[in-house]
Amino acid sequence: MPESNQLTYLWGLITLFLGVFLQIIPLSEPLLYWRPQFVILVVFFWLFRNPFQFGIGFAWLAGLLLDIVIGELFGRHAIVFGLCAYLLQLLQQRLQHFWLFHQVVLVFLLVLLNQVLLHSITLMLRDNWQGELLVIPAFTSALIWPFLVWLLSTLLKLQQVGRSLSSDH
Amino acid sequence: MLLLAFVALFLILLDTYTQWLKPAHHWLVEVTTPIYWVTNLPRRMSELGDETVVGRAALEDENERLRTELLILKGRIQRMSELAAENVRLRNLLNATELLQDSVLVAELIGVSPEPSRHTIRINRGEESGVYVGQALLDADGLMGQIVEVYRNSSKALLISDSSHALPVQVLRNGVRSIAEGMGDYKQLKLRHVSPTTDIRVGDLLVSSGLGGRYPVGYPVGKVTAVNTMTGYAYLEVLLEPSARIDRSRHLLLLFSAIEKLGVSDDAGE
Repeated sequence: MPESNQLTYLWGLITLFLGVFLQIIPLSEPLLYWRPQFVILVVFFWLFRNPFQFGIGFAWLAGLLLDIVIGELFGRHAIVFGLCAYLLQLLQQRLQHFWLFHQVVLVFLLVLLNQVLLHSITLMLRDNWQGELLVIPAFTSALIWPFLVWLLSTLLKLQQVGRSLSSDH
Repeated sequence: MLLLAFVALFLILLDTYTQWLKPAHHWLVEVTTPIYWVTNLPRRMSELGDETVVGRAALEDENERLRTELLILKGRIQRMSELAAENVRLRNLLNATELLQDSVLVAELIGVSPEPSRHTIRINRGEESGVYVGQALLDADGLMGQIVEVYRNSSKALLISDSSHALPVQVLRNGVRSIAEGMGDYKQLKLRHVSPTTDIRVGDLLVSSGLGGRYPVGYPVGKVTAVNTMTGYAYLEVLLEPSARIDRSRHLLLLFSAIEKLGVSDDAGE
Protein backbone atom coordinates (compact mmCIF):
# COMPACT_ATOMS: atom_id res chain seq x y z
CA MET A 1 0.00 0.00 0.00
CA PRO A 2 1.55 3.29 -1.09
CA GLU A 3 0.10 5.36 1.73
CA SER A 4 2.61 6.87 4.07
CA ASN A 5 2.43 5.65 7.63
CA GLN A 6 1.89 8.98 9.28
CA LEU A 7 -0.94 9.90 6.98
CA THR A 8 -2.70 6.63 7.74
CA TYR A 9 -2.39 7.23 11.45
CA LEU A 10 -3.74 10.72 10.94
CA TRP A 11 -6.74 9.31 9.13
CA GLY A 12 -7.16 6.77 11.87
CA LEU A 13 -7.28 9.55 14.42
CA ILE A 14 -9.70 11.67 12.40
CA THR A 15 -12.12 8.82 11.85
CA LEU A 16 -11.81 7.92 15.51
CA PHE A 17 -12.88 11.40 16.56
CA LEU A 18 -15.76 11.28 14.09
CA GLY A 19 -16.78 7.98 15.66
CA VAL A 20 -16.69 9.52 19.13
CA PHE A 21 -18.88 12.39 17.94
CA LEU A 22 -21.44 10.01 16.50
CA GLN A 23 -21.31 7.96 19.67
CA ILE A 24 -22.17 10.84 21.98
CA ILE A 25 -24.47 12.97 19.80
CA PRO A 26 -27.67 13.43 21.80
CA LEU A 27 -30.55 11.34 20.48
CA SER A 28 -34.11 11.08 21.63
CA GLU A 29 -35.36 8.13 23.62
CA PRO A 30 -36.23 5.34 21.14
CA LEU A 31 -33.29 6.10 18.83
CA LEU A 32 -30.91 6.03 21.76
CA TYR A 33 -31.25 2.28 22.09
CA TRP A 34 -30.60 1.72 18.40
CA ARG A 35 -27.37 3.70 18.20
CA PRO A 36 -24.61 1.60 16.62
CA GLN A 37 -21.33 1.49 18.51
CA PHE A 38 -19.48 3.76 16.12
CA VAL A 39 -16.13 3.91 17.89
CA ILE A 40 -15.57 0.18 17.93
CA LEU A 41 -16.71 -0.04 14.31
CA VAL A 42 -14.06 2.49 13.33
CA VAL A 43 -11.49 0.45 15.27
CA PHE A 44 -12.58 -2.72 13.46
CA PHE A 45 -12.38 -0.93 10.12
CA TRP A 46 -8.74 -0.04 10.63
CA LEU A 47 -7.88 -3.46 12.00
CA PHE A 48 -9.45 -5.07 8.94
CA ARG A 49 -7.81 -2.68 6.53
CA ASN A 50 -4.29 -2.15 7.89
CA PRO A 51 -3.70 -4.97 10.36
CA PHE A 52 0.03 -4.28 10.48
CA GLN A 53 -0.34 -0.66 11.51
CA PHE A 54 -3.35 -0.79 13.76
CA GLY A 55 -3.48 -3.27 16.57
CA ILE A 56 -4.52 -3.73 20.15
CA GLY A 57 -2.79 -0.52 21.16
CA PHE A 58 -4.95 1.52 18.80
CA ALA A 59 -8.11 -0.15 20.08
CA TRP A 60 -7.01 0.46 23.66
CA LEU A 61 -6.37 4.14 23.00
CA ALA A 62 -9.71 4.48 21.22
CA GLY A 63 -11.39 2.97 24.27
CA LEU A 64 -9.57 5.27 26.63
CA LEU A 65 -10.55 8.27 24.51
CA LEU A 66 -14.20 7.24 24.73
CA ASP A 67 -13.84 6.73 28.49
CA ILE A 68 -12.41 10.19 28.86
CA VAL A 69 -15.17 11.77 26.80
CA ILE A 70 -17.93 9.91 28.63
CA GLY A 71 -16.10 10.60 31.87
CA GLU A 72 -17.76 8.04 34.08
CA LEU A 73 -15.34 5.20 34.70
CA PHE A 74 -11.85 5.20 33.24
CA GLY A 75 -10.43 2.13 31.55
CA ARG A 76 -13.76 0.42 30.92
CA HIS A 77 -13.95 0.80 27.15
CA ALA A 78 -10.17 0.52 26.91
CA ILE A 79 -10.00 -3.01 28.26
CA VAL A 80 -13.02 -4.27 26.32
CA PHE A 81 -11.93 -2.73 23.01
CA GLY A 82 -8.46 -4.16 23.55
CA LEU A 83 -9.90 -7.61 24.08
CA CYS A 84 -12.08 -7.39 20.96
CA ALA A 85 -9.06 -6.26 18.95
CA TYR A 86 -7.09 -9.21 20.29
CA LEU A 87 -9.80 -11.63 19.16
CA LEU A 88 -9.86 -9.99 15.75
CA GLN A 89 -6.09 -10.37 15.47
CA LEU A 90 -6.34 -14.05 16.33
CA LEU A 91 -8.66 -14.44 13.36
CA GLN A 92 -6.35 -12.41 11.10
CA GLN A 93 -5.40 -15.35 8.87
CA ARG A 94 -9.01 -16.23 8.20
CA LEU A 95 -10.18 -12.66 7.70
CA GLN A 96 -8.38 -12.59 4.36
CA HIS A 97 -10.84 -15.14 3.03
CA PHE A 98 -13.98 -13.67 4.58
CA TRP A 99 -16.98 -12.63 2.56
CA LEU A 100 -18.84 -9.50 3.47
CA PHE A 101 -21.57 -11.58 5.09
CA HIS A 102 -19.00 -13.32 7.28
CA GLN A 103 -17.68 -9.93 8.28
CA VAL A 104 -21.15 -8.77 9.23
CA VAL A 105 -21.69 -11.82 11.40
CA LEU A 106 -18.29 -11.40 13.01
CA VAL A 107 -18.96 -7.72 13.73
CA PHE A 108 -22.30 -8.67 15.28
CA LEU A 109 -20.67 -11.21 17.58
CA LEU A 110 -17.80 -8.96 18.57
CA VAL A 111 -20.04 -5.95 19.31
CA LEU A 112 -22.32 -8.25 21.30
CA LEU A 113 -19.33 -9.41 23.32
CA ASN A 114 -18.29 -5.80 23.71
CA GLN A 115 -21.72 -4.85 25.06
CA VAL A 116 -21.90 -7.79 27.43
CA LEU A 117 -18.47 -7.05 28.90
CA LEU A 118 -19.11 -3.31 29.15
CA HIS A 119 -22.37 -3.87 30.96
CA SER A 120 -20.79 -6.38 33.30
CA ILE A 121 -18.14 -3.84 34.25
CA THR A 122 -20.77 -1.13 34.65
CA LEU A 123 -22.57 -3.37 37.14
CA MET A 124 -19.72 -2.58 39.53
CA LEU A 125 -20.91 1.03 39.55
CA ARG A 126 -24.65 0.56 39.68
CA ASP A 127 -27.15 -2.22 39.67
CA ASN A 128 -28.82 -1.62 36.35
CA TRP A 129 -29.13 -4.37 33.78
CA GLN A 130 -30.97 -3.54 30.60
CA GLY A 131 -31.06 -6.56 28.34
CA GLU A 132 -32.09 -4.64 25.24
CA LEU A 133 -28.84 -2.70 25.39
CA LEU A 134 -26.88 -5.86 24.60
CA VAL A 135 -28.44 -7.11 21.40
CA ILE A 136 -29.91 -4.06 19.69
CA PRO A 137 -26.66 -2.04 19.36
CA ALA A 138 -24.87 -5.18 18.14
CA PHE A 139 -27.57 -5.69 15.56
CA THR A 140 -27.54 -2.10 14.28
CA SER A 141 -23.73 -2.06 14.31
CA ALA A 142 -23.63 -5.16 12.11
CA LEU A 143 -26.24 -3.66 9.78
CA ILE A 144 -24.34 -0.42 9.37
CA TRP A 145 -20.96 -2.14 8.91
CA PRO A 146 -21.04 -2.58 5.08
CA PHE A 147 -22.06 1.06 4.62
CA LEU A 148 -19.37 2.25 6.98
CA VAL A 149 -16.68 0.24 5.19
CA TRP A 150 -17.88 1.52 1.84
CA LEU A 151 -17.98 5.12 3.05
CA LEU A 152 -14.57 5.10 4.69
CA SER A 153 -12.85 3.26 1.82
CA THR A 154 -14.34 5.68 -0.70
CA LEU A 155 -13.18 8.57 1.41
CA LEU A 156 -9.66 7.18 1.62
CA LYS A 157 -9.59 6.38 -2.10
CA LEU A 158 -10.63 9.92 -2.97
CA GLN A 159 -7.96 11.29 -0.72
CA GLN A 160 -5.35 9.04 -2.39
CA VAL A 161 -6.45 10.12 -5.86
CA GLY A 162 -6.28 13.73 -4.77
CA ARG A 163 -2.79 13.24 -3.44
CA SER A 164 -1.48 11.48 -6.55
CA LEU A 165 -2.98 14.22 -8.72
CA SER A 166 -1.31 16.96 -6.73
CA SER A 167 2.03 15.12 -6.75
CA ASP A 168 1.82 14.85 -10.57
CA HIS A 169 1.82 18.59 -10.94
CA MET B 1 -0.50 -6.13 25.26
CA LEU B 2 -1.14 -7.75 28.61
CA LEU B 3 0.31 -4.64 30.17
CA LEU B 4 -2.37 -2.51 28.54
CA ALA B 5 -5.06 -4.81 29.88
CA PHE B 6 -3.58 -4.56 33.35
CA VAL B 7 -3.39 -0.78 33.15
CA ALA B 8 -7.04 -0.62 32.12
CA LEU B 9 -8.08 -3.03 34.85
CA PHE B 10 -6.09 -1.03 37.38
CA LEU B 11 -7.80 2.18 36.26
CA ILE B 12 -11.23 0.59 36.55
CA LEU B 13 -10.58 -0.69 40.06
CA LEU B 14 -8.99 2.58 41.14
CA ASP B 15 -11.92 4.54 39.79
CA THR B 16 -14.55 2.27 41.32
CA TYR B 17 -13.18 1.84 44.80
CA THR B 18 -11.19 5.01 45.48
CA GLN B 19 -11.59 8.74 45.00
CA TRP B 20 -8.05 9.23 43.73
CA LEU B 21 -9.03 9.81 40.12
CA LYS B 22 -11.51 12.57 40.98
CA PRO B 23 -9.10 15.43 40.14
CA ALA B 24 -8.40 13.83 36.77
CA HIS B 25 -12.14 13.53 36.11
CA HIS B 26 -12.62 17.18 36.98
CA TRP B 27 -9.83 18.32 34.74
CA LEU B 28 -10.93 16.15 31.83
CA VAL B 29 -14.50 17.42 32.05
CA GLU B 30 -13.20 20.91 31.33
CA VAL B 31 -11.35 19.52 28.33
CA THR B 32 -14.26 17.53 26.93
CA THR B 33 -16.94 20.17 27.37
CA PRO B 34 -16.21 21.68 23.92
CA ILE B 35 -16.76 18.25 22.38
CA TYR B 36 -20.21 18.09 23.92
CA TRP B 37 -20.85 21.61 22.76
CA VAL B 38 -20.06 20.56 19.19
CA THR B 39 -22.26 17.46 19.41
CA ASN B 40 -25.13 19.73 20.35
CA LEU B 41 -24.70 21.84 17.23
CA PRO B 42 -26.99 19.79 14.96
CA ARG B 43 -29.82 20.15 17.43
CA ARG B 44 -29.15 23.86 17.85
CA MET B 45 -29.09 24.30 14.09
CA SER B 46 -32.43 22.59 13.63
CA GLU B 47 -33.86 24.68 16.44
CA LEU B 48 -32.50 27.84 14.85
CA GLY B 49 -34.05 26.73 11.58
CA ASP B 50 -37.37 26.18 13.28
CA GLU B 51 -37.19 29.61 14.83
CA THR B 52 -36.12 31.62 11.82
CA VAL B 53 -38.15 29.91 9.13
CA VAL B 54 -41.67 30.28 10.46
CA GLY B 55 -44.69 31.45 8.56
CA ARG B 56 -46.49 34.61 9.52
CA ALA B 57 -49.67 32.71 10.35
CA ALA B 58 -47.81 30.39 12.69
CA LEU B 59 -46.22 33.33 14.45
CA GLU B 60 -49.55 35.06 14.83
CA ASP B 61 -51.06 31.89 16.20
CA GLU B 62 -48.26 31.52 18.67
CA ASN B 63 -48.55 35.15 19.67
CA GLU B 64 -52.24 34.73 20.28
CA ARG B 65 -51.68 31.59 22.30
CA LEU B 66 -48.97 33.21 24.41
CA ARG B 67 -51.17 36.22 25.06
CA THR B 68 -53.98 34.00 26.29
CA GLU B 69 -51.57 32.03 28.44
CA LEU B 70 -50.13 35.23 29.88
CA LEU B 71 -53.59 36.49 30.72
CA ILE B 72 -54.49 33.26 32.49
CA LEU B 73 -51.22 33.21 34.41
CA LYS B 74 -51.59 36.85 35.39
CA GLY B 75 -55.04 36.11 36.68
CA ARG B 76 -53.65 33.24 38.73
CA ILE B 77 -50.90 35.41 40.14
CA GLN B 78 -53.44 37.91 41.39
CA ARG B 79 -55.10 35.16 43.35
CA MET B 80 -51.69 33.88 44.42
CA SER B 81 -50.65 37.18 45.99
CA GLU B 82 -53.89 37.31 47.90
CA LEU B 83 -53.38 33.73 49.05
CA ALA B 84 -49.76 34.39 49.98
CA ALA B 85 -50.81 37.37 52.08
CA GLU B 86 -53.46 35.30 53.76
CA ASN B 87 -50.94 32.53 54.33
CA VAL B 88 -48.56 34.93 56.03
CA ARG B 89 -51.34 36.23 58.26
CA LEU B 90 -52.39 32.72 59.24
CA ARG B 91 -48.82 31.69 59.89
CA ASN B 92 -48.38 34.73 62.08
CA LEU B 93 -51.48 33.69 63.98
CA LEU B 94 -49.94 30.26 64.48
CA ASN B 95 -46.58 31.73 65.46
CA ALA B 96 -45.07 29.60 62.71
CA THR B 97 -41.83 30.42 60.95
CA GLU B 98 -42.04 32.58 57.88
CA LEU B 99 -42.11 30.88 54.52
CA LEU B 100 -39.17 31.94 52.41
CA GLN B 101 -39.20 32.52 48.71
CA ASP B 102 -36.95 30.33 46.58
CA SER B 103 -34.94 32.05 43.88
CA VAL B 104 -33.97 30.49 40.57
CA LEU B 105 -31.26 30.69 37.95
CA VAL B 106 -31.91 29.85 34.31
CA ALA B 107 -29.61 27.21 32.86
CA GLU B 108 -29.31 25.56 29.50
CA LEU B 109 -28.75 21.92 28.65
CA ILE B 110 -25.43 21.36 26.91
CA GLY B 111 -25.02 17.61 26.95
CA VAL B 112 -26.80 14.35 27.56
CA SER B 113 -25.20 11.15 28.80
CA PRO B 114 -24.44 9.00 25.75
CA GLU B 115 -25.35 5.86 27.63
CA PRO B 116 -29.04 4.97 27.59
CA SER B 117 -28.78 3.33 31.00
CA ARG B 118 -27.46 6.45 32.67
CA HIS B 119 -29.70 9.47 32.98
CA THR B 120 -27.42 12.43 33.56
CA ILE B 121 -27.20 15.76 31.79
CA ARG B 122 -24.69 18.59 31.64
CA ILE B 123 -25.83 22.16 32.07
CA ASN B 124 -24.03 25.40 31.30
CA ARG B 125 -23.83 26.71 34.88
CA GLY B 126 -21.09 25.84 37.28
CA GLU B 127 -19.11 26.98 40.26
CA GLU B 128 -18.88 30.51 38.90
CA SER B 129 -22.65 30.87 39.02
CA GLY B 130 -22.79 29.53 42.54
CA VAL B 131 -24.13 26.09 41.70
CA TYR B 132 -23.63 23.53 44.45
CA VAL B 133 -23.90 19.76 44.78
CA GLY B 134 -27.40 18.66 45.75
CA GLN B 135 -29.09 21.65 44.18
CA ALA B 136 -32.52 20.95 42.70
CA LEU B 137 -33.09 21.31 38.97
CA LEU B 138 -36.52 22.11 37.50
CA ASP B 139 -38.06 22.66 34.14
CA ALA B 140 -41.22 24.60 33.47
CA ASP B 141 -43.43 21.70 34.53
CA GLY B 142 -41.76 20.00 37.47
CA LEU B 143 -38.72 18.56 39.15
CA MET B 144 -36.01 17.25 36.84
CA GLY B 145 -33.17 16.17 39.07
CA GLN B 146 -30.30 17.26 41.26
CA ILE B 147 -26.76 18.45 40.72
CA VAL B 148 -24.21 15.75 41.45
CA GLU B 149 -20.97 17.26 40.18
CA VAL B 150 -19.98 20.89 39.83
CA TYR B 151 -17.24 22.09 37.50
CA ARG B 152 -16.04 25.57 36.75
CA ASN B 153 -18.48 26.53 34.02
CA SER B 154 -20.73 23.52 33.83
CA SER B 155 -22.22 20.91 36.07
CA LYS B 156 -23.67 17.46 35.91
CA ALA B 157 -27.16 16.61 37.10
CA LEU B 158 -28.67 13.25 37.92
CA LEU B 159 -32.23 13.04 36.62
CA ILE B 160 -35.10 11.72 38.72
CA SER B 161 -35.65 9.00 36.11
CA ASP B 162 -32.21 7.43 36.64
CA SER B 163 -32.45 4.02 38.20
CA SER B 164 -30.22 5.05 41.09
CA HIS B 165 -32.37 8.02 42.00
CA ALA B 166 -35.13 8.22 44.61
CA LEU B 167 -36.92 11.20 46.08
CA PRO B 168 -39.46 11.64 48.87
CA VAL B 169 -42.88 12.70 47.61
CA GLN B 170 -46.38 13.17 48.89
CA VAL B 171 -49.80 13.00 47.30
CA LEU B 172 -51.14 16.51 46.84
CA ARG B 173 -54.73 15.44 47.53
CA ASN B 174 -54.23 13.94 50.99
CA GLY B 175 -50.56 14.20 51.94
CA VAL B 176 -49.75 10.48 51.85
CA ARG B 177 -45.97 10.15 51.82
CA SER B 178 -43.91 7.83 49.67
CA ILE B 179 -40.66 7.51 47.76
CA ALA B 180 -40.56 7.93 43.98
CA GLU B 181 -37.85 5.92 42.28
CA GLY B 182 -36.44 6.20 38.78
CA MET B 183 -36.56 3.13 36.57
CA GLY B 184 -34.16 4.13 33.82
CA ASP B 185 -37.14 5.21 31.73
CA TYR B 186 -37.68 8.88 30.88
CA LYS B 187 -41.43 8.52 30.93
CA GLN B 188 -41.97 6.50 34.08
CA LEU B 189 -41.24 6.51 37.78
CA LYS B 190 -42.52 4.14 40.42
CA LEU B 191 -43.40 4.41 44.08
CA ARG B 192 -41.61 2.20 46.53
CA HIS B 193 -43.44 0.16 49.18
CA VAL B 194 -46.99 1.38 48.89
CA SER B 195 -49.21 -0.77 51.06
CA PRO B 196 -52.50 -2.01 49.51
CA THR B 197 -54.61 0.04 51.90
CA THR B 198 -53.02 3.35 50.95
CA ASP B 199 -55.38 5.96 49.57
CA ILE B 200 -53.83 6.54 46.18
CA ARG B 201 -55.61 6.68 42.83
CA VAL B 202 -54.86 7.06 39.17
CA GLY B 203 -54.59 10.77 38.38
CA ASP B 204 -53.25 11.84 41.77
CA LEU B 205 -50.58 14.50 41.57
CA LEU B 206 -47.42 13.89 43.56
CA VAL B 207 -45.27 16.74 44.80
CA SER B 208 -41.91 16.71 46.53
CA SER B 209 -42.37 16.43 50.28
CA GLY B 210 -39.13 18.09 51.30
CA LEU B 211 -38.27 15.24 53.65
CA GLY B 212 -34.64 14.27 53.40
CA GLY B 213 -33.73 17.91 52.95
CA ARG B 214 -32.45 17.54 49.42
CA TYR B 215 -35.43 18.83 47.46
CA PRO B 216 -37.61 21.75 48.53
CA VAL B 217 -41.27 21.19 49.36
CA GLY B 218 -44.14 21.36 46.93
CA TYR B 219 -42.70 21.02 43.44
CA PRO B 220 -44.63 18.71 41.11
CA VAL B 221 -42.98 15.35 40.49
CA GLY B 222 -45.52 13.31 38.59
CA LYS B 223 -49.00 12.02 38.08
CA VAL B 224 -50.13 8.50 38.95
CA THR B 225 -50.83 6.56 35.76
CA ALA B 226 -51.41 3.07 37.13
CA VAL B 227 -52.08 1.40 40.46
CA ASN B 228 -51.72 -2.35 40.11
CA THR B 229 -52.35 -5.02 42.68
CA MET B 230 -49.95 -7.85 42.09
CA THR B 231 -50.82 -11.24 43.44
CA GLY B 232 -48.09 -12.62 45.65
CA TYR B 233 -46.65 -9.22 46.50
CA ALA B 234 -47.16 -7.33 49.73
CA TYR B 235 -47.13 -3.93 48.05
CA LEU B 236 -48.94 -2.14 45.26
CA GLU B 237 -47.21 -1.31 42.04
CA VAL B 238 -47.74 2.40 41.48
CA LEU B 239 -46.43 4.01 38.30
CA LEU B 240 -46.03 7.72 37.70
CA GLU B 241 -45.59 9.86 34.67
CA PRO B 242 -43.08 12.62 35.47
CA SER B 243 -44.43 16.16 35.28
CA ALA B 244 -41.16 17.51 33.92
CA ARG B 245 -40.43 16.82 30.29
CA ILE B 246 -37.27 15.05 31.28
CA ASP B 247 -36.06 14.03 27.85
CA ARG B 248 -37.05 17.20 26.02
CA SER B 249 -36.60 20.34 28.09
CA ARG B 250 -33.59 22.43 27.13
CA HIS B 251 -34.09 25.45 29.32
CA LEU B 252 -33.96 24.58 32.97
CA LEU B 253 -34.13 26.30 36.32
CA LEU B 254 -31.65 25.85 39.12
CA LEU B 255 -33.34 26.36 42.43
CA PHE B 256 -31.59 28.25 45.18
CA SER B 257 -33.59 26.99 48.07
CA ALA B 258 -34.27 29.54 50.80
CA ILE B 259 -33.32 27.04 53.49
CA GLU B 260 -29.99 26.39 51.83
CA LYS B 261 -29.27 30.12 51.86
CA LEU B 262 -29.76 30.23 55.60
CA GLY B 263 -27.31 27.37 55.93
CA VAL B 264 -29.74 25.26 57.95
CA SER B 265 -29.62 21.95 56.15
CA ASP B 266 -25.90 21.31 56.18
CA ASP B 267 -26.27 17.63 56.91
CA ALA B 268 -28.90 16.90 54.27
CA GLY B 269 -28.73 13.26 53.26
CA GLU B 270 -29.63 11.54 50.03
